[in-house]
Amino acid sequence: MKLLQFDGIHKRFGGVAALGGVSGTLEEGEILGLVGPNGSGKSTLINILSGFAEPNEGQITFAGVDVTDTEAHHRFEAGIARTYQIPRPFSSMTARNNVAVSLIFGKTKLHPSDATDRALQWLDFAGLAGFADQSVSELNLHQLKYLELARALASEPRVLFLDEVLAGLNPTEIEESILMIRRIHDLGISLVIVEHVLRVVNALSTRIMALNQGLVIAEGAPEDVMKDPEVVRAYLGSRWKHA
Amino acid sequence: MTLYGQAIISGVLAGGLYAMMSLGVSLSWGVLKIINLAYFSFILLAGYGSYELATSHGWDPFVTVLAVVPVVVIVGALLQLFFEKVKIGEFESLLVTFGLLIMLESVARSIWSADFRRIPSTANPYASSSLKIGDFAFPTPQLSAFLTAIVIGLLMKYLLDRTYFGKAVRALAQDRDMARAFGVDHRRVAVILSGLAAATAAIAGVFIAMSQALFPGLAVEWFGIVFPVVILGGLGSTLGALGAGVVIGVAAAIASVAWGPSYAPLATFVILIATLLFRPEGLFTRKASV
Amino acid sequence: MNRPTVVRLTGFSVLALALWFLPALQGPLGFPIFYLLFGYSLLFWFAQASSWNMFTGFSGYFSFGQGAFYGVGVYTTGVLASKQGWPLIAAIPVAGVLAAVLGLSLGFVVFRLRRLQGEIFALVTLAVAFVVAAIARVSSTIDGGSGIALNNVQLPEFLGAYPSMMFRLGLIIATVTIFAAATIQHSRLGWGLFSINDDEAVAESLGVPTFRHKMMAFGLSAFFAGLSGAVHAIQISYITIEDVFSIRIPLFVIVMSVLGGMRHWMGPIVGATIIHTLTDRLNRASDLELFGGNVTVSLDHLNDIIIGLLLILMVLAVKDGLWPRLVRRKWVGAGAFIVGILVARLWAPEMSLIGQFVAGELGAVVILLPSSEVIDRWRNWRSTTGSPDAPSDRPGVGASR
Repeated sequence: MKLLQFDGIHKRFGGVAALGGVSGTLEEGEILGLVGPNGSGKSTLINILSGFAEPNEGQITFAGVDVTDTEAHHRFEAGIARTYQIPRPFSSMTARNNVAVSLIFGKTKLHPSDATDRALQWLDFAGLAGFADQSVSELNLHQLKYLELARALASEPRVLFLDEVLAGLNPTEIEESILMIRRIHDLGISLVIVEHVLRVVNALSTRIMALNQGLVIAEGAPEDVMKDPEVVRAYLGSRWKHA
Repeated sequence: MTLYGQAIISGVLAGGLYAMMSLGVSLSWGVLKIINLAYFSFILLAGYGSYELATSHGWDPFVTVLAVVPVVVIVGALLQLFFEKVKIGEFESLLVTFGLLIMLESVARSIWSADFRRIPSTANPYASSSLKIGDFAFPTPQLSAFLTAIVIGLLMKYLLDRTYFGKAVRALAQDRDMARAFGVDHRRVAVILSGLAAATAAIAGVFIAMSQALFPGLAVEWFGIVFPVVILGGLGSTLGALGAGVVIGVAAAIASVAWGPSYAPLATFVILIATLLFRPEGLFTRKASV
Repeated sequence: MNRPTVVRLTGFSVLALALWFLPALQGPLGFPIFYLLFGYSLLFWFAQASSWNMFTGFSGYFSFGQGAFYGVGVYTTGVLASKQGWPLIAAIPVAGVLAAVLGLSLGFVVFRLRRLQGEIFALVTLAVAFVVAAIARVSSTIDGGSGIALNNVQLPEFLGAYPSMMFRLGLIIATVTIFAAATIQHSRLGWGLFSINDDEAVAESLGVPTFRHKMMAFGLSAFFAGLSGAVHAIQISYITIEDVFSIRIPLFVIVMSVLGGMRHWMGPIVGATIIHTLTDRLNRASDLELFGGNVTVSLDHLNDIIIGLLLILMVLAVKDGLWPRLVRRKWVGAGAFIVGILVARLWAPEMSLIGQFVAGELGAVVILLPSSEVIDRWRNWRSTTGSPDAPSDRPGVGASR
């Protein structure tokens, strides 16, 4: 079924159109890869779909319900979650409490004391159980990204947006993260992955959407999109249009 | 009608003084990202200094500037150096300078008590003199303050537009990290800028001592002038402060004449609230694209 | 109601009940009536600091508007109880509600209209406080510039004679305020506020209803500030705009909370205790003559200098306040307190009880702070893996920075 549908999304910042009318869908169970050069509007689209920002025009439907005007916190309760390019943990809290916030306010709506208990399970899933009661300032980048995953997953979302989750990681960490993404997918969560590392997007995605300058330039199976001349030109510049 | 006409004139003249009082906080907040409430104490202490010199030592009130300004400039620069050393954050600076303000107000109260202190007319001939044009009076202290403010405004504009220092200031105001990456020496710029700002505050204090009675609680009363001017004029903008000073001055004067002196702070604070809610970047700055 | 809440409710009730009978013991035990009045003033500051901190400390939205809510409370008593003849007992809840309405109206505009940055919000609240003061001054129904003398107010005689009555009123209000702060801290609202404090946008995207939570906390904060102010009007007895809306109340609640620690409901209590006992002693000490008598420092000016200095030191050096350190180093703190008292008893045997208490506090603070640093660094140096002091589970205490 169509889990997520967005039509004609426009977003302007001052005079600049970050998104000039983007439409697409996400089927349940898919891993949708979102690619495009810097400034193509990928992060903006994620922000809008997850409720972090409002579109100037367009409509968003989630599981058949129009959520265009729904506030971010309601979207989270409904099952839309995201992670951030640069991790944004709650810096004064422990790892456990970071996840607990999600359990308290997300779909599960647990009582604080139950939430702090259950948080451990999600930390365990992310391999961070040993850091449960440490301040997040003790965690490195890779661990912080996993914490964000745990935090997002704790609300049992149906869609998870991963915004450049591999950025800044070394090759070993990237391999581990890929395995983690697959494990998340195995939980039954549909994913939208924004990523620069093209071979990873290729390997993981069931379908890819390519953006350039705020518009969709290609969409379809990974092999097809990656060979599309428009996409190649967008990444490498027009001198390489025959590459 | 002349009543309102005079009010407008007084308001415009006062605007110059208000701009000088506010320049310190405005520049500090806009360029250095430090909310420095100590400027209120600088104005106050400069005023008291001028009062002492004029009253007990017979100095001409205008001349007291020569003694008062250097002292305040040094204190202001030292304070800025201290901020640089502890790498103070924007919000911390608000609280820390709030503490400083309380301390300095207390020092003033210890030395000069809570009584009103006014330079006696024998020592201050300017308080009662004024330029008369038609039915309207331009009192000497207020007029001189206004003209001084214009001069300072023009000097600052020249400084900002035509000198390297000015470019450095504008760069820091726009993007601190990039400016430093391009070699702008933050500490030097900060200290010089705060020295200039302190000087303006001290000059304002001297004019205030020349035109009214002083008491320690004035520092907090000035919140109702400086904050509206700073926000309305736009953080870091000298000409904005001048323009806003005039707007606030006129608004306060008209409110005073129309409804009574107690209404002046009501008018200025309402303007502040409205600006903060609807146009926090100020009246005179171009609206940043969101 | 879950177990911790029951424990908390029982604890607070028992303590409040015990203190309720303190005034009745004044005769039999023979302690000076002064202690009842001092007790009231301490309870007043507990209520003010706690009410302020439950919003600002927990959410991080710095409010300079405490004066407005306190002032509304005071003047509600002034207008209703003194001018209109209402019994005080009726005026108090109205005061709380009016203050809450002010807070909610302000919050509705400010929290909705823009996601205001910290400093802008602080300025708005400061401006509102001045506006409320100005409106009260110009309106003759309220003050009109002449002040209100609170004589002939119908006082709740059933609570006892004047000092006992004030003590008990202060006790009720302080108890409910502190209980509210403690309950909020451990509730969903508290979790929401703390996450807003760290990163509001992320909190919102994790399901925290940020607008609703800020409104609730701000409204409650204003409510309790108003209640406390309404009672305090009687203590002041002649209320004027200059006095009621002065910078004193907002300044003190800020310093008390910063000193004690803003992320825990005990912080304002600790801070208020230290600051109030200290300023009380300074107010009663005689003047200092300096520079051969040219400069007289009446020690209540020293008050302000110390308050200012404390604020500066705490903000720069001890950012999370005393409470987290007291919790981590209970024995050092308790020991230092006793040492302080002993030194005072030896050195100045005629010092009053409160004076000795102050000495104990100073001892605790002076010894606790540096030794806490030293012990932390020593432990860090000794250990080889990670952080030796695991911060506690609760979001407020412990995991700092």
